[in-house]
Amino acid sequence: MKIAAILRQVPDVVEELVIADDGRSLAEDEVMYVTNEADEHALEQALILKGRHGATVTAVSVGGDEARDALATAVAKGADEAVYVPVPFGDRGDNHRLAAHLAPAMKEGGYDLVLTGFWSADQLDAGLAGLLAAHLSLPYVGGLVSVAVDASTKKATVRKEFPGGRVGVMELDLPALLGIQSAEQPPRYAPVSKVMQAKRTLQAKELGGSFPKEDGVRIEKLLKSDPAVRAEMLPGDAKAVADQIVRLLRERGIV
Amino acid sequence: MTSREIVVVAEHMGGELSDITLEMLACSRELTHSVGWHVTCLILTDDPKPFEALPLASDRTIVVQDPALGSFNPLASARVLQHVLKDLSPRLVLLGNTGVGMDLAGLLSYRLGAPVISGCARIRTEGERIVFTSRLCGGKLLAQREVQSGLAIALLMPGSFHRESGMQDQVPSAEVRRSPESLEALPVRFVELVEPKTEDVDVRKVPILVAAGRGIQSKENLEGVETLAKELRGAVCATRPVVDQGWLPRSRQVGRSGMIVKPRLYLALGVSGAPEHVEGMKDSELIVAVNTDPEAPVFDVAHYGATVDVLELVPILTEKIRTLRGG
Repeated sequence: MKIAAILRQVPDVVEELVIADDGRSLAEDEVMYVTNEADEHALEQALILKGRHGATVTAVSVGGDEARDALATAVAKGADEAVYVPVPFGDRGDNHRLAAHLAPAMKEGGYDLVLTGFWSADQLDAGLAGLLAAHLSLPYVGGLVSVAVDASTKKATVRKEFPGGRVGVMELDLPALLGIQSAEQPPRYAPVSKVMQAKRTLQAKELGGSFPKEDGVRIEKLLKSDPAVRAEMLPGDAKAVADQIVRLLRERGIV
Repeated sequence: MTSREIVVVAEHMGGELSDITLEMLACSRELTHSVGWHVTCLILTDDPKPFEALPLASDRTIVVQDPALGSFNPLASARVLQHVLKDLSPRLVLLGNTGVGMDLAGLLSYRLGAPVISGCARIRTEGERIVFTSRLCGGKLLAQREVQSGLAIALLMPGSFHRESGMQDQVPSAEVRRSPESLEALPVRFVELVEPKTEDVDVRKVPILVAAGRGIQSKENLEGVETLAKELRGAVCATRPVVDQGWLPRSRQVGRSGMIVKPRLYLALGVSGAPEHVEGMKDSELIVAVNTDPEAPVFDVAHYGATVDVLELVPILTEKIRTLRGG
């Protein structure tokens, strides 16, 4: 069985996000990158399936130079093959064009399963897995929290989240595209020494061809979220804040 | 002439429309304040009965009926929608920014050649243009985008509009159609729906909740949060990343795919306030949020906020409450 996991490098939203002078993009020099969280889970789910079925896992990493580091980490975690997909900074977040760019390689790879995150932090349009499925005319479901494969019947049984903690069990014929919400277990940790070693020996194929240039919907204006509706901030150190919280709770009869 | 039709693709479960459906209708109603717009609520189901006489804030209801539409199946829904939307040729299709809408958006976009705008919090018209404001990067940024002409597909963030405005006093005309295409032998099949197990605490019923977010950093640090919750006579709930790490059971997760809670107090510790989490707690009576990042979107929804270190605050606050209770 062959599985591909697509990993996108996205701005780390825990860090400060700086809007560029053009007012419609992030300042490239200020962005700190992380692998998109749901994509980390997609890789983990692929590695879990590898453990169960002896599958070959190909990590496909999308972004700038930082995407190569993510590939080294993926290999250190257990991925067998690495593919680097350079995408110019200004073109990221557009899954329509990314899907068009990746589709031929995903088809050529002959994967039984292509997994990627159900969403990405910088996503402007629809989810990548659904768009890729449409390009390749393959079955797709997203928002998944587990994937089981029956290699003999070429079927996958997946669990999809619905509101209120409900879970829908669904079955798909393989090959298929899956949008992962979270893996069956937390993403594994790769020891630094293994990552360093993987970095030294990494042999990543690079996906050639230019990124599609067709017109999507572009951002006219990028803003920080609305400060007018923000919370009343409690000043001071931890002790002062604790005093104020206790006062608020007493006033409301909560303690 | 440019189409002035808006189609709301309904979500429902167990014969009841989901809140997001009413919120999308409320959004359409606001958009159609300008004259000449027409709103269709499109419902895909195996049983039209519960939906035929609802007083929805639309101009008409179209129900597409097929046994395969009894449970959500992205492939079945996309096939039906592709035909019906071509027939209705709307200017705007509204989907929920939910597990259902997000599954449909890509398939529809590709087949109808229409752009998708995800994470919409506001939508307005300016002449013939439609202007979308959407949330990016965990809700930290707002992006404004426009579609000048032609069909646009928008994913509306749950909680952006009041569900009450999605109803009106009269029942719009309803039409039931058969599926325009056979939905048999699809390569995706719905097997069953599993209801959640409430393992220990039902966080929906607890009036005081202390929420642990990623800022808690480790499972060990949760002990202090548990002690604080105990002193407050409440319970601990969590964001998705904390539950995904296996630090707390899934039944404690608050958010879009977890529990929707409305406690008297929601004390959010190390919670960033990603839209998926905010959906589950925004209606709490009192929200106090503590996060070292002053730009964390949780402060957009909290009544009170502080940027001190939660790990430093928790023991101090616990001690103060214990003293107050005379313990």
